[in-house]
Amino acid sequence: MAKDKAVPTDKIAAGLTWRQLVEIEACARCGECLVWCPTYEQDPRESICSRGKLGSLKRIVKSGLGEEEQKEFLEGLYECSACGQCHIVCPVRINTHELWEQARQSLVKAGIPQPEQQIKHLAAIREFNNSFAKPQAERGLWAEKAWRAGLLKEPVRLWKEHTASVLYFAGCTASFDPAMQAVAVQSARLLQEAGIDFSILGPDEPCCASKLRRMGDPGFADEARKRADLFREQGIRTIVVSCAGCFKGLHSDYTGILPVSVEVLHLTAYLDRLIREGHLRPSRKIPMKVTYHDPCHLGRHNQIYSEPRSLLNAIPGISLVEMRRHGPFSACCGMGGGLKLAKPEIQKKMSAARIRQAEETGAEAIVTPCQTCQIGLTIGIEAISSCLKVYHMNEVLVRSICPEAGREHIEKAFAATEE
Amino acid sequence: MYSKPWVLFWFFAACCFLYLAYSLYHRWKGWSRGMKTGAFAKVLRTVPLKIWVSEVFLQRQLFSLSFPRWMIHQCIFWGFLALTLLTMVSVTLLLLNLITLDAGLHEFFSQGAGRRLIKIWGDFFGFVLSAGCAGALARRFVFWSPQIAHDKTDIFLSAYLLFMTLSGFMLEGLRMAVFPSDLDRYAFIGRLFMPSRAGISSGLEAWHTWIWIVHAFSGAAILIYLPHSKLLHSLLAPLVIALNAAEEQGRKDMYWPKTKQYRPTK
Repeated sequence: MAKDKAVPTDKIAAGLTWRQLVEIEACARCGECLVWCPTYEQDPRESICSRGKLGSLKRIVKSGLGEEEQKEFLEGLYECSACGQCHIVCPVRINTHELWEQARQSLVKAGIPQPEQQIKHLAAIREFNNSFAKPQAERGLWAEKAWRAGLLKEPVRLWKEHTASVLYFAGCTASFDPAMQAVAVQSARLLQEAGIDFSILGPDEPCCASKLRRMGDPGFADEARKRADLFREQGIRTIVVSCAGCFKGLHSDYTGILPVSVEVLHLTAYLDRLIREGHLRPSRKIPMKVTYHDPCHLGRHNQIYSEPRSLLNAIPGISLVEMRRHGPFSACCGMGGGLKLAKPEIQKKMSAARIRQAEETGAEAIVTPCQTCQIGLTIGIEAISSCLKVYHMNEVLVRSICPEAGREHIEKAFAATEE
Repeated sequence: MYSKPWVLFWFFAACCFLYLAYSLYHRWKGWSRGMKTGAFAKVLRTVPLKIWVSEVFLQRQLFSLSFPRWMIHQCIFWGFLALTLLTMVSVTLLLLNLITLDAGLHEFFSQGAGRRLIKIWGDFFGFVLSAGCAGALARRFVFWSPQIAHDKTDIFLSAYLLFMTLSGFMLEGLRMAVFPSDLDRYAFIGRLFMPSRAGISSGLEAWHTWIWIVHAFSGAAILIYLPHSKLLHSLLAPLVIALNAAEEQGRKDMYWPKTKQYRPTK
């Protein structure tokens, strides 16, 4: 097949790091990646697994690929949630998920764009500063509504009105998605229960822009710098994030951009610390057998494995059982890396597979501290009509500490406000 | 004495070496197109010895994934490394001897007491390498491990390395048959390849020459094949492993627990 002469191989190579170009050639083709890849499990094609993608990327930076081969490579590159499982098991330890994100960016820079759905999503983030294409003025409304509905102990103050010791960063999904606003409300309530002095940025809270990085938008670094400047100007020292994706963004993707003096914590780790220090006391018994789903951005990408488990174990009545694949080997639900936008049918299959793993444990519910995973797993539950329940970590904690802020109450109160 | 086409061999070996150097330079230029992060310079400066030993030389990651695969890879890795080292030392001493700068070491190792060390070393690591290659081929064709890519160049590489070691043993066996020595007892594998003394004839010398040609020339040819085959990972993977393992250790995510309990398939 004729090589596509239009592919600027040098430009693609220039978008990768020297180290990544070496990594591409260091692959020993052992195939360990395909044994573990949750996407390959649903779509077993060589072009989907890391070995196939590495081989194609090697050829593309060397001499370009034929038209068909390039199409297949791009399909594989975007049919990937960048979950990082292949990095964990690779005997050569190739930093694959970083490579895929960088390769996406490099290809875009070289004029080979992302799938259409991802482009639309990224455009919304750039235009509206959130992926829901909603006005920024609506971002902090959840806090007002929750206070008016009596779901909070006190009103949540805006940072510009009260410079607190902690900034609670709710993220786009918990701020705008009506089905996920409970996460933001419960996070605020739990922080209040622990007596933490915190504020939110409200309409000034930016999108963390990590999705730009996930989907290879070349503007990520500039956008991240703008956000880092905002945090610096506001004198923010500690950011508590309830979204695993935002945490990965602010904590990991902003490395070298965000000042080292700014501490970024995931809510789960922070609440675990507060429980251990005695500021929060889960007292009501929740008799339930649960299994825990590690979000990739929290677990594999940031090594937060023990804190959420210790948090669950601190709740009286909770019995935690592990799935066959957990911790560093937790199977991805398919929500990351823009996969859901590019290939929704594959995401559905991946989450269904994860739900089956959860069912094997005999648990009544699957708990996760990530609202995106919660959405993804719910898709899996619907796909296989499972009886399993999916709970956000906040929901389980709230039931034990302040049940009046349970999800059902929040949804009912918010629906009434809408009316 | 049987004849060996040394001049032709040295010419061929020099060409192979130059080709390898050119190929690696070409590769280097290709990598240099990427953004520079100074990461590899950091490897040499900051990666602790413990990581080089456990992750690169003992391949702990592979060990935790599969013991048989680890064993096969260790055999190939150490066998190849030790025989390469042996060849390099022998060639260096031979060249130094030509300009009389070897301080008698060439004679010591080729004809003196040091020869027994060479024989034990060569036979032991030759056996290790051939066992590893045989294991790799068996895993590919007998056990049909589903994760293996049946890439022709990968199959060729395993067969090539196995052929190299077997031809080496055959050469040693013939040499012992043609020129018996007291030190033959140290060549504990080569002896198995020695034709019976009853069959010794002048024809064996010609066979010896031909097998030497095949073994020596195919050994040098590996330098040409290296940059175009999976063998390139023998140069690059140690750097990548060391760098990434050092970073993982910094993040404290390197020492994950037993892999097998999570393994989704065989």
